[in-house]
Amino acid sequence: MNAEEIEKGVTAIVAEVTELDEKEIWDKRDANFFKDLEIDSLLALEILALIEKKFKVQIPEEKLVDITSLSATIDLTKSVLTESGKLSS
Amino acid sequence: MIFFEEIRSLLPQKYPFLFIDKAIEFEEGKRIVCVKNVSGNEPVFVGHFPDFAIMPGVLIIEAMAQASIILFKKSLSAQNTKDSVFLLASVNNARFTKPIFPGDQLLIEILIEKIVSKGAIIQASVKVGEKTVAKANLTFGIAEKSALISG
Repeated sequence: MNAEEIEKGVTAIVAEVTELDEKEIWDKRDANFFKDLEIDSLLALEILALIEKKFKVQIPEEKLVDITSLSATIDLTKSVLTESGKLSS
Repeated sequence: MIFFEEIRSLLPQKYPFLFIDKAIEFEEGKRIVCVKNVSGNEPVFVGHFPDFAIMPGVLIIEAMAQASIILFKKSLSAQNTKDSVFLLASVNNARFTKPIFPGDQLLIEILIEKIVSKGAIIQASVKVGEKTVAKANLTFGIAEKSALISG
């Protein structure tokens, strides 16, 4: 798995949960989920669960607060996958 | 096996809004299988419908939610759930594939996909006999009742 696959996979998940299209959410990748995109903490939990399922990885609860934008979510996914040895940096 | 008296004490819902009779399988923090026997004598069939008794889809979702709450309450410590309320926050991918009539016995299986201190996501499926009659994914918020009331 490489960084580009993670970016695409996470973007698709966030697009699905927010019901925005992938291009739109990618253009807004630094927008704050809670302030700008009307995502609440339970949608963030749905995003986290879908990432776990897609990338077959466990993400601990304390990382939930890092899901604040698409960019931050991609970074979180990369760091979790790097730690688990699934992403070679 | 979790019998009706325990179900009744665990669930905040009461008659005529209790849609679980017992649980026949339970794995802490993972899974539960609940039974709901549908009777033509239930109040809902007075109106749904006067000439054609059929269980409303929204009540199948409610039965899934109640089975989930039993699983949560049996999995989380009593200390954590004493003042907790479980709020249905989203219903995704709901499918009702066969109508449910009086006399049917629903087997409601709940699998926890993710649970954290403030929320949970589950997968639910309902069978009558061997046939799947409904499916849905539900998300719950977990909140303190006192915090909700005080706003």
